[in-house]
Amino acid sequence: MHILIATDGSRQSLTAARHLKTFVDPEKVNELSILAVIRPLAAVAFADELSVTARRDVDREALTFREAATSAVATIAAEFDGWGPKVHQRIRSGSPANEIIKCAKQLEAGLIVVASGGRGNVLVGGTAQRVQNYAPCPVLVVRPAPRQKPVRRAKEAGDKKESVKPSRRATKTAANRSATKRSKNEN
Amino acid sequence: MADQAISGDRVSGIEDESDLKRSITGKLLFFYVLGDVLGSGIYVLIGSVAGAVGGAFWLSFGLGVAVATITGLAYAELVTKYPQAAGAALYVNKAFKNRPLTFLITFCMLSASFAAAASLAQGFSDYFSQVWELPPPLMIGLLFIVVLAVVNFIGITESVVANVVMTVIEVSGLVIILICGAIFIGEGRADFGKLVEFNAESSPIMAILAGIALAFFAMTGFENAANVAEETIEPQKTFPRALVGGMIAAGILYVLVAMTAALTVPIGTLAGSDAALLEVVKTDILPVPLALITIVFAVIAMVAITNTCLVALVTQSRILYGMAREDVVPGVFGKVHATRRSPWVALIFAAVVVGALLAIAGQLAVGDPAPGEEKTTALEILVNVTVVFTLFIYGMVIVAALKLRGKDESEGTFKAWTPLLVFGLLANAGLLVYSVINDPTSLIWCAGLLALGGVLFLLERAFDRRRSESV
Repeated sequence: MHILIATDGSRQSLTAARHLKTFVDPEKVNELSILAVIRPLAAVAFADELSVTARRDVDREALTFREAATSAVATIAAEFDGWGPKVHQRIRSGSPANEIIKCAKQLEAGLIVVASGGRGNVLVGGTAQRVQNYAPCPVLVVRPAPRQKPVRRAKEAGDKKESVKPSRRATKTAANRSATKRSKNEN
Repeated sequence: MADQAISGDRVSGIEDESDLKRSITGKLLFFYVLGDVLGSGIYVLIGSVAGAVGGAFWLSFGLGVAVATITGLAYAELVTKYPQAAGAALYVNKAFKNRPLTFLITFCMLSASFAAAASLAQGFSDYFSQVWELPPPLMIGLLFIVVLAVVNFIGITESVVANVVMTVIEVSGLVIILICGAIFIGEGRADFGKLVEFNAESSPIMAILAGIALAFFAMTGFENAANVAEETIEPQKTFPRALVGGMIAAGILYVLVAMTAALTVPIGTLAGSDAALLEVVKTDILPVPLALITIVFAVIAMVAITNTCLVALVTQSRILYGMAREDVVPGVFGKVHATRRSPWVALIFAAVVVGALLAIAGQLAVGDPAPGEEKTTALEILVNVTVVFTLFIYGMVIVAALKLRGKDESEGTFKAWTPLLVFGLLANAGLLVYSVINDPTSLIWCAGLLALGGVLFLLERAFDRRRSESV
């Protein structure tokens, strides 16, 4: 199976990738693709929040979104270092949901992993939502843990093996609720 | 699949071009430039230019277009060398390696964009009042800015298709004007002598200069093409063509439209109108019900202005985001919304500044002009400020292009003809001097906007120190 992990540079997408690792058997995965989509006409074409600290000394006048996307993808890819399957790093540009779906079709992916920012959107569906609706394969949507009742959450989360500690915000998300949605004839 | 060549189960880097897909083709870029340029100028400004020059105001448009296009060549050259999103600030930084100067240019870009967006909002409300007169124009202008900020936050306009559609609508509006002109000439009613008439008050040269300075605004916006430079397929080949091609196409349309307006409508009417192009349609040349075509045309004009203004707001929030990442302004401007991935603080801030500019200019323009003085409209105030900033930036970009000659060049680098660039530099400088002498108050506005940048810079410094102390 080829798994496609999409990242928008958010910490949540890193959490999603880590979550995948907690329950998927690497033996059953042939290949892994990490995909970032740059949105050329957006106010911020790609925001990398994963590897900010490492990039203090680069030529910062050159605001390059491509570099941001590349380093976000590399950060996620590094998570899977030594995990097993071969990891591909991919960057595309256009509308995120479209490109993720197109990429999944081309790769004949067996699973798409996306992070969801959280709250639903009244006006326009988020990327995760659109991917779910049109994906050619099952989709794993990793949502952030709700912020209320942090105490009970922590207990529920219990399994410290999953221990994710990239940042203050992401620790809360250790207990991800995840929703798998399948469509068509997969697996 | 193209990328199965590398085997082994370790993490592999990005393997080949198929993994690095870019999405902006030359055609899309052409439409992006054309749409951005067309929206800014002719719908908004034609009345003011006509008033300043007289029947020959198409000449001002022609010359303004020429100077801007020469500047466009410098941009094209630099983009092929440094295909990144930062535009003028990046080029100046590469050329001078002087951080204060880079900051200054960046703040100038930001200020120019603020003033441009405010001018456009003013233009929008002028056209809006043609459709529905009731709401106060200032309210419409502010509402317009708020809606655009929300649209940018949600990211509706990220669709490249939407951009092309808007551009086609913009062009169709100008085609309506040209058809009016063709029918008018066909009926033998045109008096071509009007095309060489000048405003009686001043000498023709001064009149044309005044016109160019205003018409220049009509060409601004092309520099925003740098926004998508990074995502352009084969930028070295496509960028110069699409950028210069888009500018020339816009320029030709401008000159033709200006001629049509001069032929069909008395100059006095054009100059006195808040939505001057609408006057051409209102001459009732077209065999279509007047009320209908008036509304259609006003809507088209509003679409055009909206498109350009959206790009301006994107550019502003990008600049703020970039500066926050460089620690030039407070870090909050670098905040990206979790779901929408939009720099929401920067978007709100930009909307507030543009709204404030709009309100202040509106207030100043309301007051009665001193006796014997012409009334300056809110639009003209804002346009002048934009033009002063833009001329300065354009001049610096040409200097940077010349200074960076011989550096970072590769086989595919586009090279503009040097004498042309030198001429462009002189023209930009000359216009800048003229604009400042003609309207010294614009300097106060410029200083005010730059001071705002200075405040942000100091805030960042203050917070930065506190942060480092607390560590």
